[in-house]
Amino acid sequence: MSGSRAIRVEPAASGGLAGRFEAMASPCEVLVDGADATEVARVASLVAAEVWRIEALWSRYLEGNVVDRINTAQGRAVTVDEETARFLDYAAHLYELSGGLFDVTSGVLRRVWTFDGSDRVPAQEAIDTVLPLVGWSQVSWRRPVLQMKPGMQIDFGGIGKEYAVDRACAIARQASAHPVLVNCGGDLAAGAPRRDGRPWLVGIDAHVPGQATPVIHLHRGGVATSGDAHRFLLKDGVRYPHILNPKSGWSVPGGPRAVTVAAPSCIEAGVLSTMAMLHGGEAAEFLAQMGADAQLVW
Amino acid sequence: MQLTDADPKDRRRLSLALATVGLLGVAGAVPAAADDAPRDWTFDTGLLFYKENGGRVQVIEPAVDATLDLGNDRTLSAGFVVDSLSGATPNGAAPAATPQTFTQPSGRGKTYTTAPGATPLDHTFEDTRFAGDLGYLFPLTGGSKLGVGLSGSKEYDFTSVGANAHYALDLNQKNTTLTAGAAFEYDQVDPVGNAPVPLSVMVDAEKTGGSQKSKNVKDLLLGLTQVLGPKGLLQLNYSLSLSNGYENDPYKILSVVDANAVPQYYVYEKRPGSRTKNALFAEYKRFVFGRDVVDLSYRYFTDSWGVRAHTASLAYRWNFTERKSLEPSLRFYSQRQADFFHSALYTGQDATVDYASADPRLGAFNAWTGGLGYRQILVNGHELSVHVEYYKQFSRAAGVPQQAAAALSQFNLAPDLAAVNITLGYRFNW
Repeated sequence: MSGSRAIRVEPAASGGLAGRFEAMASPCEVLVDGADATEVARVASLVAAEVWRIEALWSRYLEGNVVDRINTAQGRAVTVDEETARFLDYAAHLYELSGGLFDVTSGVLRRVWTFDGSDRVPAQEAIDTVLPLVGWSQVSWRRPVLQMKPGMQIDFGGIGKEYAVDRACAIARQASAHPVLVNCGGDLAAGAPRRDGRPWLVGIDAHVPGQATPVIHLHRGGVATSGDAHRFLLKDGVRYPHILNPKSGWSVPGGPRAVTVAAPSCIEAGVLSTMAMLHGGEAAEFLAQMGADAQLVW
Repeated sequence: MQLTDADPKDRRRLSLALATVGLLGVAGAVPAAADDAPRDWTFDTGLLFYKENGGRVQVIEPAVDATLDLGNDRTLSAGFVVDSLSGATPNGAAPAATPQTFTQPSGRGKTYTTAPGATPLDHTFEDTRFAGDLGYLFPLTGGSKLGVGLSGSKEYDFTSVGANAHYALDLNQKNTTLTAGAAFEYDQVDPVGNAPVPLSVMVDAEKTGGSQKSKNVKDLLLGLTQVLGPKGLLQLNYSLSLSNGYENDPYKILSVVDANAVPQYYVYEKRPGSRTKNALFAEYKRFVFGRDVVDLSYRYFTDSWGVRAHTASLAYRWNFTERKSLEPSLRFYSQRQADFFHSALYTGQDATVDYASADPRLGAFNAWTGGLGYRQILVNGHELSVHVEYYKQFSRAAGVPQQAAAALSQFNLAPDLAAVNITLGYRFNW
């Protein structure tokens, strides 16, 4: 959880005003085209409230929430709320769609993988100890009841933020006549083009040193970026990014440093960029097959 | 963004899209990002109200401009204006010590009489004008754009059709824009009761100067817009206009007076059959205090009729909030009269001059315009504007015949003019 619950209205880099706040370990920004400070503050508070609500709902670090109850159930069945149920349905769908590559139960692999820039690549034996705890196919999901083996965990980190951005953007869109763009750490969604019909210009920081920040033109819809940032291991000249294949338990080498995707929604963009990273060296081919509007940094 | 070439109807992509709609709900799903063609209409609607003092010209003009964004920098635009003019306009005759009676242009015996010492005004001035235009703007290769358009207008006695094209080339990372434009217009006037023979004596009889008169106007424009640093913008334009054909105003006359300033008779005006206009325009805009805009401009105009004019303008746009602005402005205009401008002619002079007109618009005057505009972006994103201008023209007597100058000096040959102009605007997307 982010500690600060402050919303600041400040000049935006693109001119005009931006509402800024912290959520999901990211700086978040709300642009309200053509609005004055009062309206920016009003819309930003609605956006922040929604993002913070979802953060509280699904944060892995908050005791007592639904994710915590699932992860500490130790084999017991857990009944979840309607929104979480919908999200689990979605996760189940992504698992099928990706042939098991996109798996919300893969978080436990981080017990053996620590991406701190060192060369401490785990041994196969270590991976083998946690791999039995990974796999959506082992989960019993009968809406609204979820039951998992003791030790298994779920983690919505991969798509929770994108979902929050989409939800917040939809709320802002209904609450204000102004075009709104919501950006949480580079995952963003816009409800409409700017007032004069021009697209939003968004700088995408892929966190890749030495690479220029690409600027994309977004009329409406979502954009998400997945990348290995500084989180990787380096051993014997092989780079192990923090992208983990839930089937093998291994880091997926040979992929792009970052993938940015534009899609009708931020979450769809996030799913496509994450899945592209999981395809490693085949990322571009995968995105092409999916007909994704994407930009890759190798 | 770079698009990867593929069939977007991949089964898995569709499945993902459907699942996402299921998650976010239809209301939460934002329309497709791939749709780079927003096809948004922008409407600019306006109502202009112009009124001169002393019961002179009054204009009410509703206007609507619609622009359709076709995406990919292509726009289609259409505009429509209706002008409703009424009031009185000077007929060109000079004031006199006795009442003057004139016959209306229709020549059907309707007359109007001007009081002694007053500027003769034709009170029958009333007209409705319809004007429309169509335009299409599209990009060419290499950062350039081409716009083409058609225009037309229709009044009771006047028809105009035109075509235009303009080209803009962005250079130097859009810091420099070169523009070139050309326009052609064909005007036809069908004077009420036919056209008079120029410089002929006005009599209450059928006019014999022909029924249909026309002229061609060719315009050329060259422009340069240069971004000067992050806060300044300079624009330079040169325009050339060549007009050929019937340049007269068929309803304008001149008094022919004796040494006592007593009108002997009236003659119809006559202007040269061609007019070449040149204008240079420079404008400098500067963004100040991170909020406001200062706009300074100057225009020099000269034509083959001897008219010279200077216009200097200053405007300050004060964006006092993100959505509201006030814009005070001040403009000064100074004009030297045309070579053939005469307040009146001396008896017999009508036989010796090549051209003559007493149209006050070709006379000598200075004018100040003070304006205040208010603009607000409403909660729904629409834009409302109100602009009020006050215009004051200080005329200078010019073209006074020497032989009658002393006698004419008892009259105000160049009355001042004041006018108020109010424009209401409403702009919205649809």
